[in-house]
Amino acid sequence: MTDTYSINLTRAPKPEKGTKSPSSAKRIFDRVRRQPLTVAAFFVIVFLALVAIFAPLIAPYDPNQSDYSTLLSGPTSAHWLGTNDLGQDELSRLLYGTRVALVVALGSVLIAAMLGVPIGLLLGYRGGWTDRLGSRLVDVAQALPGILVALAVIAILGRSLWTLMFAIGLIFTMGFARLTRAVTLTERHKLYVESAHVVGMKERVIIFRQVLPNLVGPIIIQAAVFFGSAIMIESGLSFLGVGLDRDTPTWGGMLSGAVEHQAQQPFLAFAPGIAIIITVLAFNLFGDGLNDAITGGVRKSPRKKLTTAELPGMSNAPTASAATLPGQTYSMGAQDAATAAPDATSPWDSRADEIRTPTGATETLPDPVEGAVLDVRGLSVSLERPEGDVVPLVSGANLSIEPGEIVGLLGESGSGKSMFAKAVMGLLPPRTRLSAGSIMFDGDQIAFQSQRALRAVRGAGIGVVFQDPLSALSPVHTVGKQLIEPLREHKGMSVAEAKERAVELLDRVGVTEARSRLDHYPHQFSGGMAQRVAIAMALAADPKLLIADEATSALDVTTQAQVLDLILDLRDEYGMGVLLITHDLGVVAETCDRAAIMYAGEIVEVGTTTDLFHAPRHPYTSALLAANPASDAQVDRLPTISGRVPLAGEWPVGCHFANRCAFATEACTSAPVPIVDQVRCVRADELTLEAVPR
Amino acid sequence: MGKLISFRLALAVPQLILVALVVFLMTYLVPGSPAAAILGTSANPERVAAVEAQLGLDQPFFTRLFTWFGSAIQGDLGNSYAVGRPVTDMLLERMPATLSLVFGGLVVAVLIGLTLGLLGGTRPGSTTDRVTTTITAITVAIPEFWLGIILLLVFSVQLGWVPVLAYTPIEVDPLRWAQGLILPSIALGVGSAALIARSMRTSMAETLSARWVDTLTATGMSRRRVIFRYGLKNALIPVLASTGLTVSILIGASFVVGQVFAFPGIGDLMLRSVIGKDFPVVQGGVLMIAVLVIVVNLVLDICYGLLNPKARPE
Repeated sequence: MTDTYSINLTRAPKPEKGTKSPSSAKRIFDRVRRQPLTVAAFFVIVFLALVAIFAPLIAPYDPNQSDYSTLLSGPTSAHWLGTNDLGQDELSRLLYGTRVALVVALGSVLIAAMLGVPIGLLLGYRGGWTDRLGSRLVDVAQALPGILVALAVIAILGRSLWTLMFAIGLIFTMGFARLTRAVTLTERHKLYVESAHVVGMKERVIIFRQVLPNLVGPIIIQAAVFFGSAIMIESGLSFLGVGLDRDTPTWGGMLSGAVEHQAQQPFLAFAPGIAIIITVLAFNLFGDGLNDAITGGVRKSPRKKLTTAELPGMSNAPTASAATLPGQTYSMGAQDAATAAPDATSPWDSRADEIRTPTGATETLPDPVEGAVLDVRGLSVSLERPEGDVVPLVSGANLSIEPGEIVGLLGESGSGKSMFAKAVMGLLPPRTRLSAGSIMFDGDQIAFQSQRALRAVRGAGIGVVFQDPLSALSPVHTVGKQLIEPLREHKGMSVAEAKERAVELLDRVGVTEARSRLDHYPHQFSGGMAQRVAIAMALAADPKLLIADEATSALDVTTQAQVLDLILDLRDEYGMGVLLITHDLGVVAETCDRAAIMYAGEIVEVGTTTDLFHAPRHPYTSALLAANPASDAQVDRLPTISGRVPLAGEWPVGCHFANRCAFATEACTSAPVPIVDQVRCVRADELTLEAVPR
Repeated sequence: MGKLISFRLALAVPQLILVALVVFLMTYLVPGSPAAAILGTSANPERVAAVEAQLGLDQPFFTRLFTWFGSAIQGDLGNSYAVGRPVTDMLLERMPATLSLVFGGLVVAVLIGLTLGLLGGTRPGSTTDRVTTTITAITVAIPEFWLGIILLLVFSVQLGWVPVLAYTPIEVDPLRWAQGLILPSIALGVGSAALIARSMRTSMAETLSARWVDTLTATGMSRRRVIFRYGLKNALIPVLASTGLTVSILIGASFVVGQVFAFPGIGDLMLRSVIGKDFPVVQGGVLMIAVLVIVVNLVLDICYGLLNPKARPE
């Protein structure tokens, strides 16, 4: 049963460091204040509490006062919610019923916390057999239906307010115990608890000083959720007639009476039920909101449709604002967007020979490359943040790949190289969009095409291998099933044929005992073997282009070399083009014919691998080479590039690298730098840059 | 497969023993002598002592424990104080009604829950998602028995669409059995449907953001196929993990919903026994429901192992 309830633990919010400090309490309060639903729920709770406290003042009648002249009446001016079979005023009973609901819920949650927290602390802190036996008991107890536990307690102790609170409290005790145990277990292994041990603090002191404060947040959230459940259970027990005696007005009791006299007066069933729903809903919403505020989770903000008007456009569309933009840091807010209104989702106009970059510059596109398997021109990707502003991630990238050619796309993490690959495949993550560009695959335009149209290209035209091979395959399906699927899809093979072909493919990529391994699950493969399977999948439909997105980065050095060799061999065998996306200079040097260097969303230099390594023309390429330890064994200090990469959204208007460049001049920062003759540097012609010694 | 089942069975046995032990200990918690409860408070001490001896209450703790365990294993849970019949018989008679209702509720919960969860989880943040999320948030707060009352009121009393039927055993008339289950099952299942929908939504949304979804999409597979052929199985794993809890909630709620529809189930029997202080029946009922819950979880654990290759013992 352990697995069965693990979900409760995972749902338990992580204790956030410092939930105890007053500043964070204020931060939580501020967050709660910004959630209108949570605030509304809070006011409903306050209202209910006021009703409960002042019930005698608000209620028009004594709840037990019988008026035998009006039995089972519907709503009248004297009795707004009607009367029951004893002629008692339903509104008054409803108001008084709030008292029982809130008092019982509060009492039972407090009892549950007082019993559950110490149990959890004990189990979590003692560990060993105490924990094993105790946790099992707690698990079994929690697996039992709550009503059953409550009935058993009431059977033993008889009916009273205290019994009711204890009976309901006992149901939630296990929840608190499990939560506390989980938090204690994580906390006790943290460094500060262990260092407290070293300093010689007593265990009990450690528990109370260090662990308890971290429990406060999760326990409050849990309590709010239990509060709603407690009201539900109390109403259920009262409805069954095992809660409080009939003289005490309860919502459940009122419903019980309503059912008995349903035929005579159906109206009576509504008000108490609605009261329960509103109360439970208020506590649930408040608990959810509090949870979000404490754990820092963001409730889904209302989704704003990414209108095409907010995207940077192409220059062949009317762009009146182009002239107003240069000269200051570009932020693609709505104010800019309103002026530029091209229809970016419409198919790319192949006649266009310019694009407008996110920095507002107009950039001339290179001529289409005839015969290239992939020809990307002016590709731009942007991200729409939840707050609504649009941030460019890739800007005006041009790159072409000939059949049989291996082209590297080299860049640091965050440079936009993976976005480039995803844009080519039409697999951009949520909130990111292809904002401009032409992507010609084998002579066909694949930019801005429907998912349906792209399906024909994916797999059969372009195969992709991603970074982490173990997360690249569905963990609960066999490797065989996932490998056979594309074969059936693209090649129209029968299951038997596809299976044979799958074995061949696995064999080809170097998976030993291929036939028997078809029935294995991804977790039964090593990283290198899983990556070979992923390559086999990408190759299944004989693509003309293979995109390897950091395909070897997660592997150890030996495996990495083997997988790279495999890709080289397969390129020779199938004659396909390869786009090798990597952050590793060595990988590029060893395998690529040509390479493009990417920096802060822009391709800064393209050239043959030899040229790039021996005669870099962009200062960033040069700095990258210098920072690569393998390039110069004699240096006693690792050279690094000073400064940091500007984040997406903070790109300067001029050269993105200018703030870190040793050669930057006024001209570099004043205006956007176009890519000319394969290099994006205004001083490219006058600089002679350091290279790897021949 | 065999290994998986035997492994899970081995885990269930200590749970059963633990539950039985706690149920036995309940005897010691009841204030006053059971003999007095049988004979009434006015009985003379000699007769009380005689009955206590007859029930074995004068024996030492461990003798009583082993005697109790011995008979419990053979299915003997003692006799009812109120009617004198064997508790096991009384409970088993009422088991089919309870199981029917819980089964009906589970079907409703799973059907509605998975549908709503899939609708929202496959397009997180969309209008559909917001609508389903709002529906589930409200539904979670509706007490099952109140929904039962309203359904009965609207569909049976007012509209007369669904006849107010007493529970009919399935072997007597399957059609009437099914008809009688419609409204109670909806009343019982809708709340749990909301829980399943929430869990399915989160799970599906998380699943579809996994890296392998991109891999499969990149092979040219349609999104529908990725979702239903691959995503569903992945997304169901955490949902299945919480189904044990759902069934437990359904059993508990069936006690209350059963009262609305006058279902002759275990809940009804338990309720009478709690009010009438018929302690052996309460004790037996707790034990039997606990066994039911453990068995359900055992089955679910095995399903979980079948669905999730990583959970299979190597």
